[in-house]
Amino acid sequence: MKGTIRLIRRFLLLMVCVVPVLFFLNLAMFIAYTWRERSDNGGWQAAIKVGEELSLGSDGQYHLSAAGQQELADYDAWAILVEDGTGDVVWHSEGLPEEIPLHYSAAEISWYTRGYIADYPTTVGSRGDDLVILGHPKTAYWKMMWNSFDYGMIAGLPRMLLSFLLLNGALAFLIYMILGTGILRSVKPVVQGMEALPEQDVHVREKGFLSEVAGAVNRVNEKLRAQERALRKRENARAGWISGVSHDIRTPLTMVLGYAAKLEEDVSLPEEARRKARVIRLQSVKMKNLVGNLNLASKLEYQMQPVRMEELNLTAVLRQAAADFANEDLEGRYPIDFRCQEGLGACRMRGDRELLQRAVYNVLSNSRQHNPEGCSLFMELWTETGKEGKAGKARIRLSDDGVGVSEEQLETLRSTPHYMMDGGTGVQLRHGLGLLIVRQIVTAHGGQVRLDHGPAWGFLVEIVLDILWPNSGTDTPS
Amino acid sequence: MWYYYLREVLSMEYDYLKQKRILLVDDEEQLRELVASILTQEGYAQVRTAGTVADALSLAEAWKPELAILDVMLPDGDGFELLSKLRGKGDIPALFLTARGEEEDKFQGFGLGADDYVVKPFLPRELLFRIAAVLRRSYKEECPRVKLAACELDFERAEVLRGEERLPLTAKEFELLGALYRNAGRIVTIDGLCEAAWGDNPYGYENSLMAHIRRIREKIEENPSKPVSLLTVKGLGYKLVLAGK
Repeated sequence: MKGTIRLIRRFLLLMVCVVPVLFFLNLAMFIAYTWRERSDNGGWQAAIKVGEELSLGSDGQYHLSAAGQQELADYDAWAILVEDGTGDVVWHSEGLPEEIPLHYSAAEISWYTRGYIADYPTTVGSRGDDLVILGHPKTAYWKMMWNSFDYGMIAGLPRMLLSFLLLNGALAFLIYMILGTGILRSVKPVVQGMEALPEQDVHVREKGFLSEVAGAVNRVNEKLRAQERALRKRENARAGWISGVSHDIRTPLTMVLGYAAKLEEDVSLPEEARRKARVIRLQSVKMKNLVGNLNLASKLEYQMQPVRMEELNLTAVLRQAAADFANEDLEGRYPIDFRCQEGLGACRMRGDRELLQRAVYNVLSNSRQHNPEGCSLFMELWTETGKEGKAGKARIRLSDDGVGVSEEQLETLRSTPHYMMDGGTGVQLRHGLGLLIVRQIVTAHGGQVRLDHGPAWGFLVEIVLDILWPNSGTDTPS
Repeated sequence: MWYYYLREVLSMEYDYLKQKRILLVDDEEQLRELVASILTQEGYAQVRTAGTVADALSLAEAWKPELAILDVMLPDGDGFELLSKLRGKGDIPALFLTARGEEEDKFQGFGLGADDYVVKPFLPRELLFRIAAVLRRSYKEECPRVKLAACELDFERAEVLRGEERLPLTAKEFELLGALYRNAGRIVTIDGLCEAAWGDNPYGYENSLMAHIRRIREKIEENPSKPVSLLTVKGLGYKLVLAGK
């Protein structure tokens, strides 16, 4: 929805910018157009010139010089000279229309000089005290007859213009807002519906001019939900199946494991038989781990494993996982060296204690599984201060000095999905579930896992997790 | 090899616990047979089994078991239900034995006051350890003296016996030794020990813990700088080794 509001705001801003631009553009065009108008607008200069070019001959007749004639021709105008005092026309140019009177009263003169004589727009000049009137073609000019304004109005012109502009702007804004809100009201539910589509069930009312789009959103929603249900059902079936199988396998496996252990310690049996019983026991333990891992991995993958977040001490979790592991190692073939950052007492974070413990335990037992002859395990924990208010990080480094992995194996481990998560049947993809679970658990905690070669040799797993404390180097826990 | 070690550890001093009446309830006959044989072989003298809730209840009525090992899924009910009924007649420690490793089950079991929970499949030694731990915890007042390499621990009187000498244990030392003894032969983490001695928010007591451990060693070890009973597992925690290892 934020996006839509941003869109409306952007359009509004665009409008606010466009209006002044349009205003100035119009002003510029008006100026450019009127610029070319001559300053002797309406032929006033011509009348003056004609007055100047008139001369009184010795015969008592008036003559217009050639330049004056030319001026009249240029304007396609006629001219008359009205004598001062009498009001008689004492001279006129050739081709004077017949309807032009040859005598004028003072009142007529005041009228005609301002406006028209028989619809011919006039301009006036003088020759001495006499009046020169030029008559222009009827369509040459449009004259303003009452060309005076109140002084107050002219004085208030800037204010008036400004208020006109503001009023226009406000009106435009209002109209836009009304239209915009109307559009928004019909767009909003549709947009909200579309935005909510990936997460939840959506129904948009199919009304207004976007009813078709709303209908399409509803149809997409139905399709998505149906697919989601089908997928969920399939995932549940799959996880349920795995859980069922692992449940059913547990009881028989208990007996295999139990009797194998009993046979192994039965001193009345030959050594060879007890050795075989030991193999059965060891393999059964592997199956036991596999069953547990398979169940947990499928639950984590399909989000059926509840992640119970609580505030915990990561140091304690690591120690407990290592202790659980060491308690199983009765023969002492897998010594663990746990090192903590100097002075780090507690390392607090939010997480699921059991799952995190399981992740660390899985890394350790992965080393055990790949190094049946025994190896040393190293567990290190140090913290990094969070920058700019971000959470601090805990870095857990679990490594061994065992056989390690080749470059190709490492690449495969890093890049290929586990067969459980992959539809393919590629045998080369099959690697242990243990590390998959580590990745799943760490991902569920928003952390990262890195697989690498050990510092000198062997294998290394680095886990990075967000922590609550210490988030700065010097604080002490409260 | 591990098995002998464990047998030795478990059989040394707790014969009084081996006399406890243990009721095993599981619908799978062969499994009952297996677990019962593991227990009797271990020296537990009184083990009886039942396949249904009804049988278990009538047996409990007549025989008054002192520990119940229960399967969650039974033909005529479930183990949780059975435990509430058993508890209605008197307090009895219980350990669940089940193929259902689901988290919810675990919480339900502990909510009813189950003392422990073992998910199938399990190794015999795992089961024996859990049973021994539950018994030690539940019947600690009957606790006799525990033999260590250089002394004996008398939990009843909170004392260390060295020859004729009797050294009293402080409250913290008693708590720490108790936690170590309940997990004898296993590593108890620094955090686990701090929690046992200082409660729920055991941060920042590591130095105190070291001091207490030092004092305990002075009381129980022949040579406190070369401990043989209370061992340090570097970086992780401590382990109490009983005599005869």
